[in-house]
Amino acid sequence: MRYIFNFPDIGEGLEEGTILEWYVVKGQTIKAGQALVNMETDKIVTDIPSPKAGTIVAIYGSVGETIRVGSPLVEIEIEGVFGADAVAETKVTEKVEPVEEEEGAGVVGTMELAGKNAYLAASDEGSSKPKTEDKPVAKVQATPLARAMARDMNVDINRIIGSGPSGRVTKEDIEKYKPSQGSQKVIGKTDINQQPVSPDSVTYEPISQIRKAIAKNMLNSKQNTAHMTLFEEVEISGLMSIREKIKTAIAEKNIKLTYLSFIVKAVVLTLKSHRQLNSQIDLENDRMIYKNRFNIGIAVDTPEGLVVPVIKDADHLSIIQIAQKITELSEKARDRKLSLDDMKEGTFTITNYGSIGGIYATPVINYPQAGILGVGRIVKKPVVKENQVVAGNVLPLSLSVDHRIVDGGEASRFINQIMEYLSDPVLMMIE
Amino acid sequence: MEYDVIIVGAGPAGYVAAIRAGQVGLKTAVVEKMYMGGMCLNWGCIPTKALLESAKMFEKVKHADEFGIDGIFEHNVTFNWGKAKARSKRITGKLSTGVSYLLKKNGVEIITGTARIGSDHSVYVDDKKISAKNIIIATGSKPKAMEKSLSNAPVIEMEKLFTLETIPDNIVVTGNHVSAVEMAQFFKLIGKKVTLIANSDYFMAGLDDYLISNLIKKLKSDDIDLILNAYPDKFENKELHVGELKIKCDLLVNLNSRKAIIPESEIPLELTERGFIKTSDNFETSLKGVYAIGDVSGKSFVAHVASAQGIFIINTLKGIKSTFDSTSYPINIYTLPEIAQIGMTEQHIKEAGIEYKINEFPLSANGKAMIEGNTEGFIRMISDKKYGQVLGIQIVAANATDMIAEAGAFMNLEATVYDVAKTIHAHPTISEIYMEAGFEAFDKAIHL
Repeated sequence: MRYIFNFPDIGEGLEEGTILEWYVVKGQTIKAGQALVNMETDKIVTDIPSPKAGTIVAIYGSVGETIRVGSPLVEIEIEGVFGADAVAETKVTEKVEPVEEEEGAGVVGTMELAGKNAYLAASDEGSSKPKTEDKPVAKVQATPLARAMARDMNVDINRIIGSGPSGRVTKEDIEKYKPSQGSQKVIGKTDINQQPVSPDSVTYEPISQIRKAIAKNMLNSKQNTAHMTLFEEVEISGLMSIREKIKTAIAEKNIKLTYLSFIVKAVVLTLKSHRQLNSQIDLENDRMIYKNRFNIGIAVDTPEGLVVPVIKDADHLSIIQIAQKITELSEKARDRKLSLDDMKEGTFTITNYGSIGGIYATPVINYPQAGILGVGRIVKKPVVKENQVVAGNVLPLSLSVDHRIVDGGEASRFINQIMEYLSDPVLMMIE
Repeated sequence: MEYDVIIVGAGPAGYVAAIRAGQVGLKTAVVEKMYMGGMCLNWGCIPTKALLESAKMFEKVKHADEFGIDGIFEHNVTFNWGKAKARSKRITGKLSTGVSYLLKKNGVEIITGTARIGSDHSVYVDDKKISAKNIIIATGSKPKAMEKSLSNAPVIEMEKLFTLETIPDNIVVTGNHVSAVEMAQFFKLIGKKVTLIANSDYFMAGLDDYLISNLIKKLKSDDIDLILNAYPDKFENKELHVGELKIKCDLLVNLNSRKAIIPESEIPLELTERGFIKTSDNFETSLKGVYAIGDVSGKSFVAHVASAQGIFIINTLKGIKSTFDSTSYPINIYTLPEIAQIGMTEQHIKEAGIEYKINEFPLSANGKAMIEGNTEGFIRMISDKKYGQVLGIQIVAANATDMIAEAGAFMNLEATVYDVAKTIHAHPTISEIYMEAGFEAFDKAIHL
């Protein structure tokens, strides 16, 4: 029977995805769980595995095309299922999320880069050694010249999404492609910081999935919450010396012990006694939802845009473990290897713009969470200690809360406690 | 604003832009003084090619005997100017009605009158003010007037040619480009004595030098007196004086280089040194929101590029992603045989410092060309040495102007010589010469 596999909802609220690469071609026999297609969704690049074994009879959508959740991706001829069974099978697959049907069909966590070693020669006549591939590869659209150039320059043409009609890779795309961008997939001309100088007053470009998600979430937050931000400064000379000591102690372990690790710890400890900040409001059902897990989202700046991976159950982790987790997640974010799991279930968020240079901000709450802590750059400033003006190391903090949930007093008490932990970090060690 | 866009001029730039504008839902008005379809349709592209076709037919029937047809002899066939002109008019009439129909079908309002630009948002049509978000000027061009010293000469421009009852015997054509060459050959084919005076030092500029020298040889062998880089001084006793030369002249056809027809404007539009409306790469004039396309912007003088500009500009206004590549459009010359060129010339490639090769295949080795009795011509394919990219194609053949379209696709798709060779061409066709040139580029042509 023919089974139409629709693009599944692989994450909360996912609406659409863009096809980056097809791994299968029409006529190919596939196993259940075998990757069909590489898709860019809201915040991740992921492989979509087949829920069924069979033969691909039709492929819907070409590279660069956006597919809505629920729209057909492929049609699979499943052998040995006929008649009533076939109908039943179809029904089942429609009800259950198809991707979870058979083992080995994990949706996320397999975010390999598209098209390893995959390339197709345009004009075999021109090359002395025609190469063959074990794996059949969906043919990316490209001009013959672009293929010849890619082969000559040893560039994997399947990694490039073209700017030509229907996403065709052209000479210009090959010339613009910088292999040094390594693991990142170059998508058309979306790197806004490397715009070619254009005489036009404006340039129109499609919005990436990530940008769409950011736009939607930010607007959602601003429109559905009552933002209130308060600013504080905390002197952290004590924290600095402790950090130095720990760093020396764990030097051989190759762990990047950032201030952020301490801040995460301080926030988690504080959240434990300020449950309003680890909650969300559910006005539809007239209730509060208090979270009993402490999952801290860390905003990470990537070339494609902002992503927020989550340190799950941070309350069970030591500062060192938190540091390790931060390193791991930020690397994944920059390589676009984050899974949806990595970004789900955050209960409170920290944004560390200080690492880029900022001091204060009015961070936008990661809706529907209740608060977000902005961490600025540590600045040397005169501070008064025991009636003496001395040079202090001041960490600026900006806390935005949803004023519907958190009152001003509670917000102040919350940030005060964080500041206490940071100015006297030994307290954190005791807890 | 009454309109989203007002287009001034309904030539191939203006009317195509207007149709496109209607298609994408812009409220559009097109202002035209007299001729739907502009010069192209009324006394340019279409009618002159219709005349040339009659002349070519006239030439061909003289050789009917060779094709096995008795009873037609060179001495008993004559060219009927009136009938040829009427045929040409029937064609343009049909097409012109077609343009009006397409404009109306797409909801474009046609306003008859002369336009004066009022501001960046307004146009006066015979003193009635209309307004729009954007204005597109597509008023075209006309040949530069002949020198005052020739005011007594029997000068006509193309528009007038179609009003002539008879064509006199001694014709002088002045001009430097395609239309001058075509008309010179037309008069020659219908049996007139023809002199072509190229009154500049850039005769057929833009064409590959190889094609130019080929064309000069051809004109000479056709017995057309070609005088390069010369200027007629005066007209006396039915003779045109060109330096020392005195040329018998009953009709002086002005196909000089062209100058822009600049519409009147309350706010002066910035012009280029050569007197065309100055525009950005985006075709925007010095007035924001006012664009100029086609001949009036001086960027190109061919209808198909003007139309492409029109589509581009409307897409841009509508926010539809669009690019305009003016580098690979065909240059067509409807002579006998026809000449067509696309892409870079050998001179361009040399200047660019690209390592290249040129491969030729003659029509004399092509079966279909022999069948049709048109073995005069060749294909010339220029490709880069490194990847084999097709950089330019030049064809001289009876139907070269149609054949060049295939080269356009090759260029647009960044094809290499391998792709040209690999494309199976039906046999027998003249287009087989593509395949042959392709093979020749990296190996050996089959039929040579």
